[in-house]
Amino acid sequence: MPIHSSLLKKPRLVKKLKDFYEYVKYNDGKVGTKTRGIDLNFNNACNLRCKYCFTNSPKGDHVKEYLDYDAIARLADEADELGYFEFDLQGGELLLQPKKLFKVLEAIKPERFYLYLTTNGYYLDEKMANRLAEAQVSRVSVSIDSMDEKIHDEIRGRKDSWRRAMEGLKHVQKAGIDPYLNITVGHYNAHTDHLKQLLDYSKDQKYKTLLNVAVPAGMWQKAEDIICDDKDRQYLRKIRKEYKNLVRNIWNPFDRSYEGILGCTTVNRLYITPIGDVLVCPYVHIKIGNIFKQSLKEIVDYGFKIKHFRNHSDLCLAGEDKSFIRKYMTKSGQSIFKPAEAKDIFSKEDLIN
Amino acid sequence: MKSNNAEIYKETFISSLSIDQKNFSEDLKYNEIEEWDSIGHMTLIAALEEKFSISIDTDDIVDFSSFKKGKEILKKYKIPF
Repeated sequence: MPIHSSLLKKPRLVKKLKDFYEYVKYNDGKVGTKTRGIDLNFNNACNLRCKYCFTNSPKGDHVKEYLDYDAIARLADEADELGYFEFDLQGGELLLQPKKLFKVLEAIKPERFYLYLTTNGYYLDEKMANRLAEAQVSRVSVSIDSMDEKIHDEIRGRKDSWRRAMEGLKHVQKAGIDPYLNITVGHYNAHTDHLKQLLDYSKDQKYKTLLNVAVPAGMWQKAEDIICDDKDRQYLRKIRKEYKNLVRNIWNPFDRSYEGILGCTTVNRLYITPIGDVLVCPYVHIKIGNIFKQSLKEIVDYGFKIKHFRNHSDLCLAGEDKSFIRKYMTKSGQSIFKPAEAKDIFSKEDLIN
Repeated sequence: MKSNNAEIYKETFISSLSIDQKNFSEDLKYNEIEEWDSIGHMTLIAALEEKFSISIDTDDIVDFSSFKKGKEILKKYKIPF
């Protein structure tokens, strides 16, 4: 089967990726205000009941609302024009509604983006993996909580979810799509064998491992004890060098010494909800606009006027910067559907002149 | 000079992709080893641009699908092998 998802079949993506590379190189390895990715949740319905879901899907939050195809097509066109080169589709669970998913893919035109899906893998069989490859999906990320099937299934709230997710990753690799095994790392598991076993397995299978630090948002709002401390972060830096297949959005992917920090990518990576709200990232539930009311450029320009998102941060604001978390992420009921409004929580002092 | 370019090309290839010497072969193709993925590809292109003081066009970056093909492309930029 030909690999349609290959970078080399996407010249527009190559152009944007090269621009991004050069920007970062001349900006001392930092992301600055360079546009990078769109995280799109076009519908929040899911088949699992994960304990730490950041979108509150298990609570049934807004699961019947969909972002329409025309709006998605317009968003993708605007994102492409602004140089965004990654498009991450997430949910909810995308493979629960394959017909809708493939219509969304058609609207986005994946040939322009490094387009990927973040899925729980439950419905990811061989046929689906091949269909995704044909649709020019570049990467599929599947979240795994433990090499112990029982632990994973317990966290996910459904039996057999571990086995199906693991099989799904194999199908992805066979179909010629980049397989990513996603792991959430928090203070509770950073130094455990559970984490090490997952890292080893992913490396042995020749997958990439995406590390997401545990974030006190959604079902975990106000759970400060999950946040990685300095010792945990030191461990992450150590394993970055050791494994070499690890990815964190905050790390500089081009740095082959495996040390460079790109910086927190709020606004560089935007999160779009099923009702068109634009949040500064999937985990910081602060709204900076709505795609039905403003152009993407207007929203991005406004987002980068806010110092917290414009200035470089070595820490992930949502998962590591306790002072930011306490100040801006603990409002009662704050969620992707009830975000804090940037215009209400930031004062003149928080904005650039 | 010609043989020197071949050596520089090979060394840049190995170092920019952080390939283990034992995994290197002149028959290497894009995405055949985990180090030569999309990110590795851009790192490789940038390293070659710097090493040979050239700017590689997007079409050529897309065509750069193997170690051997890369040599052919560099010849277009007046790098003799």
